[in-house]
Amino acid sequence: MVRAALSSGRRIGQGPRAGAAAIPAVSVIVAALLSALPIVSTSGWYPDFGFLVLIAWRLLRSDPWPAWWAAPLGLANDLIIGAPLGMSVVLWSATMLLLDLIDRRTMWRDYWIEWGLAALLLLLGESFEWWVAGLTGPVGRFGSILPPLLIAIFAFPIAAWLVGRLDRWRLGR
Amino acid sequence: MAPPRPGWSRRAQYGLFFSFLAVIAGLIIGAFMLGLSLVAPQSFQAVRGAALDVTAPISSALNEVTSTAGGLVSGAGNYWDAAHQNAKLKVERKKMVQRMIEAKAIVQENRQLKAALQLRERSRAAVAAGRIVGSSLSSPRRFAVLSVGTGDGVRVGMPVRSPDGLIGRVIDAGRLASRVLLISDRSNIVPARILRGGLPVISQGRGDGTVDLRPLEVGRNPFRRGDVVVTSGTGGLYPPLVPIARVIRLDDDGAIAVPLADPANTSFAVVEAPYEPEAQAAEPLPLADAP
Repeated sequence: MVRAALSSGRRIGQGPRAGAAAIPAVSVIVAALLSALPIVSTSGWYPDFGFLVLIAWRLLRSDPWPAWWAAPLGLANDLIIGAPLGMSVVLWSATMLLLDLIDRRTMWRDYWIEWGLAALLLLLGESFEWWVAGLTGPVGRFGSILPPLLIAIFAFPIAAWLVGRLDRWRLGR
Repeated sequence: MAPPRPGWSRRAQYGLFFSFLAVIAGLIIGAFMLGLSLVAPQSFQAVRGAALDVTAPISSALNEVTSTAGGLVSGAGNYWDAAHQNAKLKVERKKMVQRMIEAKAIVQENRQLKAALQLRERSRAAVAAGRIVGSSLSSPRRFAVLSVGTGDGVRVGMPVRSPDGLIGRVIDAGRLASRVLLISDRSNIVPARILRGGLPVISQGRGDGTVDLRPLEVGRNPFRRGDVVVTSGTGGLYPPLVPIARVIRLDDDGAIAVPLADPANTSFAVVEAPYEPEAQAAEPLPLADAP
């Protein structure tokens, strides 16, 4: 952001947008609402858009929202995508806890570490979803989560880029 | 990145600690809800139905837009070739009229034979007709969203079909929309029989848009490529003689088949009352509890 600060285009009185504190949470809900698009998928290989954007925000900043917001956001996601209620609540709260713990351990961050962390979290998310689905009825082999996992891992940089742009826009930079 | 401790301020330290506790509380509440929704799936029926009512109109409206755009493209294509198409259709019509007269004769004969046999025919009442406006995108569970709900008389457990074949059964019902468990889901098991020969088989989804067929009797593989499988009516949930799928590949003791009703291309789907009403209560699968 140093280069952005040095550029001379700054206007006086430029600052965060109205409601900047709520924008990350709203963007997660909007991402979850993508599953209301009229797409009929026979294989179910689309990524979990809400989770993707949640991870992208949390890896970008440590404080996109108070950590406990993950629970109501997860509940909204469950209701929107039609998962068993509580699945995303558990997964998203656990994600916030895990990343808080990881934040205390890591010495530095770079792009590859973030992508690796995201891949790990997406793997956890897909396995958890597979396990929960297995409790409601028969599901395929564990290997059947591989194609959607790969798609989600490669979709993460796009989500991270969008979230980065949104973050700069909401802070008025 | 969060610093390990927010400096020496007691207030900030406590704030961090309590937010930590709040996350753990959220986690525990979530685990409790998940347990409840797995053990007693009907406990959140009202909330899930209400959420469906909120999101389904978005899907319906967008579906309208995409189908209109698609219609414009295919409509333009039809005008392009109108004269040629017209001639072809006239020839086809002539043939169809002949076939129709034959069919009418057969229907009459059939009615007389049935009357002679004193066969009781159950009337199949359509409860409602709607469009498929969406589906689960990221879940191993395969379900579609249908644009009719309890306001139109739809109840949980009712079978859903399209003119092409069987689609599935209702698992969640809101006022304006409902959720349908597709026959390609692994937990959807349909009693069926092969149209050629009438041998009883079981159809189970494979989770990827196809279904797995197994004969009830162990032995020689009875399937052939191209075989059509229809519902048998056993169990009483699905009405008999609804086409399910066409065999595309044989494996060691069964076959893999593609459903005849493609939910992605179905213009409208019909919800029917369960074939035998008591089947709704006796449904053994956890996903289809009686309302």
